[in-house]
This record gives sequence, structure tokens and C-alpha cells, in this order.
Amino acid sequence: MAEIAIGIDLGTSNSCVSIARGGSVEVLPNAFGESISASVVAFKEDGTVQVGNAAKANVIHDPMSTVSSAKRLIGRFFFSEEVKKAQAICNYKIVEGPNHSVRIQVREEQFSLPEISAMVLREMKSVAEEQLGQEVRKAVITVPAYFNDNQRQATKDAGRIAGLEVLRLLNEPTAAALAYGFGRGLSQRVAVYDLGGGTFDISILEIGRDVFEVLSTCGDTYLGGDDFDDRVIDLLADEFVSQFGINLRGDPYALEKLKLAAENAKKGLSQEDEVEVRIPDIATDGEGNSLTLQRIVTIQEFSSLVMDLIQRSFKVCDEALQQAGLVARDLDGVILVGGPTRLPLVRDSVTQYFQQEPKSDVDPDEVVALGAAIHASSLIGGVEEGDAFLLDVTPLSLRIGVAGGLAETVIERNTPVPIEQARAFTTYQDFQESVQIKVYQGESRKAEDNELLGQFEFGGFKKARRGEVQIDVTFEINSDGLVNVTARDQETGQQATTEIALSSGLSPEEMQKILEASPAERVDPSDAPEEASPVAPPVSEEAALTADDEMILSEPSDEASAAKAKVDPNAETGHDLKVDVEPRDLSEPLLSAETDPTDLDGLEIDDDLFEEASVDLADLASADDLEE
Amino acid sequence: MGHLVATEVRALVGLLDELDYYQLLEIDSTAQGSQVKQAYYSASRRYHPDANRDLEGEISGHVHTISKRITEAYQVLRDPRRRRAYDAMRDEGGAARIQLVDAVARADKQARDQHEGTTPNGRRFFSLAKHDIERGDKDAAIRNVKMAMTFEPKNAHFKAKLAELRGA
Repeated sequence: MAEIAIGIDLGTSNSCVSIARGGSVEVLPNAFGESISASVVAFKEDGTVQVGNAAKANVIHDPMSTVSSAKRLIGRFFFSEEVKKAQAICNYKIVEGPNHSVRIQVREEQFSLPEISAMVLREMKSVAEEQLGQEVRKAVITVPAYFNDNQRQATKDAGRIAGLEVLRLLNEPTAAALAYGFGRGLSQRVAVYDLGGGTFDISILEIGRDVFEVLSTCGDTYLGGDDFDDRVIDLLADEFVSQFGINLRGDPYALEKLKLAAENAKKGLSQEDEVEVRIPDIATDGEGNSLTLQRIVTIQEFSSLVMDLIQRSFKVCDEALQQAGLVARDLDGVILVGGPTRLPLVRDSVTQYFQQEPKSDVDPDEVVALGAAIHASSLIGGVEEGDAFLLDVTPLSLRIGVAGGLAETVIERNTPVPIEQARAFTTYQDFQESVQIKVYQGESRKAEDNELLGQFEFGGFKKARRGEVQIDVTFEINSDGLVNVTARDQETGQQATTEIALSSGLSPEEMQKILEASPAERVDPSDAPEEASPVAPPVSEEAALTADDEMILSEPSDEASAAKAKVDPNAETGHDLKVDVEPRDLSEPLLSAETDPTDLDGLEIDDDLFEEASVDLADLASADDLEE
Repeated sequence: MGHLVATEVRALVGLLDELDYYQLLEIDSTAQGSQVKQAYYSASRRYHPDANRDLEGEISGHVHTISKRITEAYQVLRDPRRRRAYDAMRDEGGAARIQLVDAVARADKQARDQHEGTTPNGRRFFSLAKHDIERGDKDAAIRNVKMAMTFEPKNAHFKAKLAELRGA
């Protein structure tokens, strides 16, 4: 049977699966003929698990055991704002797991977020298998463009748990543009305005005849249709308090009814100027009388409730346009993605902002899955002449932590991927034995304002004075937008100590356990996560001595790559931060010798330029500064 | 696509650190923005991991390395500031490669230096020109900026000042 690969739009609220074959692409509907299924998982009392629209219907009966909007939590740390926000609004129990990860507790059992998302993915996989009448093992899964590395890793883990080989994590707006431009031979600059259930993305793309180049992408992973619902819930709940003195938010059953009513009201306002919300028996008063919530919500009222949210999205659009070096009138088209863009209020605001009508021939619920399927098909077929070819960017700046609580940029946001950059660092103190390497994503110079991707201690240096140890740190972002960091000691035969933080919420050991627990679902071994924190065996003396020095500074030599491959069967997709140690000829010059700004001929050294930097570097001192 | 020849790939990866970005993208050093873009597209179609999923092992790693360098080249050459910094480094016989953040830092420094001049004589004449401007002697100012430019013909700030004086 011919190899097939599906595209899955794993949404906050809804998911959609699609396939491209024989030059056409279609959504695969579920058994009920619905093209989208709710991203909801219900754990029934009898131990069965229900996923999709039926699970969503279950929520009012058993709110504590029905998990929705898991995507808002995936790849987050337990202490993050989003988790606190979710705890306030979700009826299911959100608890802390190992290493600040998030777990969901249903009755006595705890689940990681990748496991929950895997259940949704498995459902989409089986929807596809049912429709296609054959097994599906490969998929492209979409993620919000603004997802950071932790969220991407966790999503990829979810795919693996679901028994899928994840060919690519594709950015949702990029997928949408791909579906929009598919087979049309366009040459356009477009904006994709993607307002989903929980996240907002804006991407500016240049669509050429056969190349789709993302010029910039910006987003807000805290902004989506859920927030619109929350505003309506607040309105209704607050009024109920002032009317009856009863807080509906305290009662899980009432809260679920409120949520559903708010969502329906929002949808109703897409067609009508006003809707009536009526929830009988939502609560009982002190005397045991049944109370009914009744309220008319007008479009004006709704508009004033959510306008600031819509305006917030335009701030992000400003940024994306600026990053792309364009203004709104440079755009040939605007593509709307995500359920909330069906709201006339959103459409009108977008029209006003971009000074043009958005494209009407795109289904905002299906377009992302369609694009994912197109990409999946092109990946298994290899890229053929004339196939659309994607060139995407990294949404967030990649940084390394330096002393003073600061984070220095290594790769700026909106840099195309795949990309690799190297920085040279050295010790700051005499006889310093190790350095702490912390890797962040984000736009702040203050380390704590960024997302910590991982950290490891790198040590085992020879006894040396400050500045004598040279550590090369290589940062790679691959085509999935996943980050790989490698540190190398320049010293021959050094061993490294490594401590690897969780990045996806599941440690490799836990991941292994989950995969072993469901052997039938297991993907082929090449796609399995690698072992924890390997230390590469030192490569041969000869290799180091013969290696070209410039080469080894920025790129591992062939031998070094081979050594790395041994310990990292999945180097391309990289699961956790890795530390490789390899020997290096001491006589080699520092990396910074070539890139040092002081090395401009005939120029005086500008002290001001370095003053700032040298304050930054305590644990890690940039070799540039010490050389100076 | 996907029909890269192994020997070709090995040769290219071996040469990678000697090729400058223009050579890597196979364009002239005067190539304009759209040419840079087209070159990036066609190089990517050839070496991007998506175009080479069928490759394995060592060759796959090499292709990945080349692809990453192509991205780097594009990221430097597409941006006028980074490109100026890179060109200046190349003119001085520097390495074929520049780290992106270094390109930005260099460009910033370049801009600041150029503001006053990067050579003793350039600085001297430019400072004379600024005196002339204060005194309102435009002709003298133009003469002195021109003199400064004989020492620093590529100084963008001098060029801009001259244009401004001539326009005023």
C-alpha cells in the first residue's frame, strides 16, 4: 500500500485531520460526519476514555473528569501565569509534577499534558484510519507559530505517544498560507491572522511560484477565543452575584453550564445582534428555590467586552509588519484562521486594520489541517519540482544566561531556520570548575522574563586561571523550530558533568515508560527519544589535531558529528539539551579572534561598547571581553 | 530535487569555511536584494533538509550543515546593516563567516564610528566641516567633508552629510 501521511491541526478547542493525495486535499470527517472534533478528553467512571465532541458533551455531567483546552498548559511550567489562570477557570485538577511540570489529576490518576494531547491525536489518527481504511503512522502536526521550544517538544512527545512519527511540527499560519496558495501559482505577500481558541499568531509571508517564505511571525500565546468566552462568563457570573448573592464560579457544574452558555452566546452573536442566555436550575437559593440565569447580551455589549482583546492582537500585527519591513498596504491579501475570526466583530476590525477585506475563500476551521496535509504529502514524496517549498522562521529570540541575571541574544527572532550559531565563552574566575549554561527564549534582556528552555552544568575543566578555559556553545534551531544546544570544552580529554532540566514536562525515562506501557502504539525505534544526558566519548586524538580550526569552532568535524550521532540517535529533532565534550588542540585560536569587533584595523577600542558586556558576564564570561 | 551527489556535498562542506556568503549563494558581491532572495530560494531548494529527507548518515549531516550556512548567508546579506558590516570585514581580509549578533554589533559600532570618522584625517576634516556649518559657511563645509571623504570614501555618514549640504 502506498505510504500515506496525514495533517493534524491540534487546536486548543477543536482539532481537524486532513489528507492530500493525487493532487487534491480534503478534510477527513469523524464517524458523525463532523469535520472538526473537540479537543476534549473525558475520563468515564468505568475507566473508559472518550475523546472529541461526545467528550465535550460530557463536561456538564462530570466537569472534574473532563479535560479541555489542554493546549494552553502543554509545555508550561507549573509556576507560569497561564497555569494559574487555568486553575481559576478549569474544573479539572491541575497539579504540580516533577521538575515544575504540570500534571492533570483525574480521580486517583495523574496525566502529563503530552499524554492528554496524545489522546486527542490518537483520536484524530483513528478518524483518519477509519476514513482511509488503512493504518496511518506519519503525520505533520501544527503548532502555534509563537510556541516556544518547550511547547514544541511537548507536542512532539504527544505525537510519539499517540503512535505517530511526527514528520514536522508546522506553524499554523504557515500551514494556512500553504493551503491558501496550494496549486494557484500565486506571487503575493499575505498576512495570516490566526486567532484560535487559546492562541493568537500573525505571520507575514511571501508566496512565490514554488516557495513560501515566512518574513516574520509574532504572537500571543495568552490570547484566544477562550478569553472572549471568559469575558462573557464574568459578565454573567458577576450579575448573578449582585442579583442573588451566589457565586456560580464556586460550583463546577454551574461553571460548566456558564462556559457553554457563554460560548453559544458568542457564536450566536456571529449571526444575530442580540442573544438570550437562559440557564434554568443553575443554582438554588437559601430556601431551596431553583434559580434561573436569564440575560440578553447585545452585540454592542459583547463588543465592549472584548474590544481590548482584539486591539491587543493588532499591537502584535504592528510588530509583525515592522519585523517584515512592510506596511499594511504592501500586502496583497489577508487570510483569516481560527473559529473566532468568524465573528463579524473580528472580521470588521481586521478589515479596518489591514485596509482590505480578508479572503473569503478560506475556511478558518479547516485551512490549517489542509495545509498540514499538503506539507505531509510533500515530505513523504520528497520535494518535487513545482511543489511548494517552505522557508520558516524562529518566532522567539534564543538567548544564553549570563551573570547579573541577564540573557544575551544568540539568535534573533524571525531568523530563518534551520540555523546554527556559535558563541565562545570562558571562565570568569580563577580555577572555576564549572559553568552553568542556561538557555532561554524570549525578547527580554532580563533572564527571568524569558522562558527557560533548559540548563546544564558544564564542568570538569582543567585547573586554570580565568579566561584560560574556552567553551564553545553551539545553538541550533532546526526546521521544526526545535532548539539544540551543545557545549564543547577546548581542552583535550575533558569529561563533562551534565544536568539536564525537563523541557517538555516528561523526562526521557518517563517518556520511555509511557511508550513501553503501550507497545502497540509504539513508533519505530529511530523515532524514540534518546537516552538521558549522554556524555559523548572523546574522539580520537588524531581527529582533533587534524581538524581545521575554523571548522571545529563553528561546526563539529566529521568525527565529532559521528561521536555525537552515537549518543544522540535523534540529533535532528533533539529532545533535550545535550552536552558533548570533545578534545581540541590547545594551540587553536579563540573563536572570538575572528569575530571580535576590536579587530577592525586602525580602530581604537571603544570601551563603552564593552563596558556593558563585561558587567553581564560572571559565571560565563564572553571570550571577547577577556581578550580585550 | 533530492539528487545531490555525495562527492559534491563532501567537497562543498569541506570548502564551507573558505567560501564567503556571495560564493556560497553563487551571486555577485553587488547583487541586489531580489537577487539575494532568489539565490537563497534556489540554494534552499537544493540543500534544505526538506528537500533531502531521503539522505542518511554522514551526507545528511553535511547537507544540514550546508543548509544552515545558507540561511546564515541570507540573513546577513538580506539586511543592509549586517551586509555592510560583513563587507567591511571581508574587505579587511577577515573570515568568510560572521556570527549574526556580531554582525549587528559591528554594524552599530561602524555607524557610531562613522559618525565622527574612522581615520585621524577623516575625523580632522569632518570636525572642521562641522565648525564651518556652525559658522554658516556652507561652501567651506562642503570642501572639508569632501576632504574627509578622500580618507574615508565609504563613510555613509559623510556621504549623507555631503548630500544634505548640497541639498540645503
